[in-house]
Amino acid sequence: MNNRTSNEFHVGELLSGYIDGELTQQNRQRVSQHCEDCERCRQELVALQSMRDRIAASRLSDIGEEAWRETMNDTTVKATRGIGWLLLIGGVLLAFGFAVYEIVTDAAISTMERLIIGGIYGGLLLLFLSVLRQRLIEKKTDKYKDVEI
Amino acid sequence: MKIDDMRHELAHLGNNAHALAVQILGNVDDAADAVQDAFAQALGRGHQYKPDRGSLRAWFLRIVRNRCIDLLRGRMVESDSTELLSDPAPGPEAITEFAQRDHLLHLALASLAAEQRQIIVLRDYMDLSYGEIAAVLGVAGGTVMSRLHRARVALAKAYREYDEQ
Repeated sequence: MNNRTSNEFHVGELLSGYIDGELTQQNRQRVSQHCEDCERCRQELVALQSMRDRIAASRLSDIGEEAWRETMNDTTVKATRGIGWLLLIGGVLLAFGFAVYEIVTDAAISTMERLIIGGIYGGLLLLFLSVLRQRLIEKKTDKYKDVEI
Repeated sequence: MKIDDMRHELAHLGNNAHALAVQILGNVDDAADAVQDAFAQALGRGHQYKPDRGSLRAWFLRIVRNRCIDLLRGRMVESDSTELLSDPAPGPEAITEFAQRDHLLHLALASLAAEQRQIIVLRDYMDLSYGEIAAVLGVAGGTVMSRLHRARVALAKAYREYDEQ
């Protein structure tokens, strides 16, 4: 904690604790007394305090609270929409699976009827997959996707 | 904490979170994205926040920092590089107002290691206590003062060098 140079002790990192008010009463007094006698530590204390004040007075981000509030709302909308889509797609897939199961297991449906219904369902599925694939490709490659109109 | 109260508090912390993210990612836009992701995570996991275990500020800033580190890891994978990309200092365009008003201090801060920039911003800009800093950085509380002091000495040294040029 103390740095020994020539024949005296310096208070080192305690200077930072002193500036920040994070020292015990005992260490605080120790730093005060030391700085009264030690020119080097006194100068270092002033330099560190000056840097600290200048950083504190700077503005490292100036976006604004209202903008963050809107960003948070966008986040909520996106999350809600995502959950909604997941539920919808999950429901459709379950209904589709259940329909296929019924058609395959129901003895009252003739082979011709199964082929016709299977064709309709198969066609719908292929169309859905085709549109989905196209949308995914567009999402990845559309260079104008971030342009706001 | 009620979700509306948390939203209000988080919006208030937005700029501090962004300032920290800029120091880690080195880019204003990426930092804003990281903060937005952190908002979503914090609101989604709001029930995990326990006021008796620390401040909301420290809890949220830790989420922001973790998100930034995830983004840095993503950059490493995308660039197919094994080199550490985790020290992208903010460029002149990153903190325009600050850079213009106190150019030398901006240069000196940007010349420090990422960990040193973060600890200085957490303490000197945001005024976090040592305990909160330890929680955000995930380090032992007893090491904060020495880490911070080394960072401040490095900043003062860098500033003097830029000033003499």
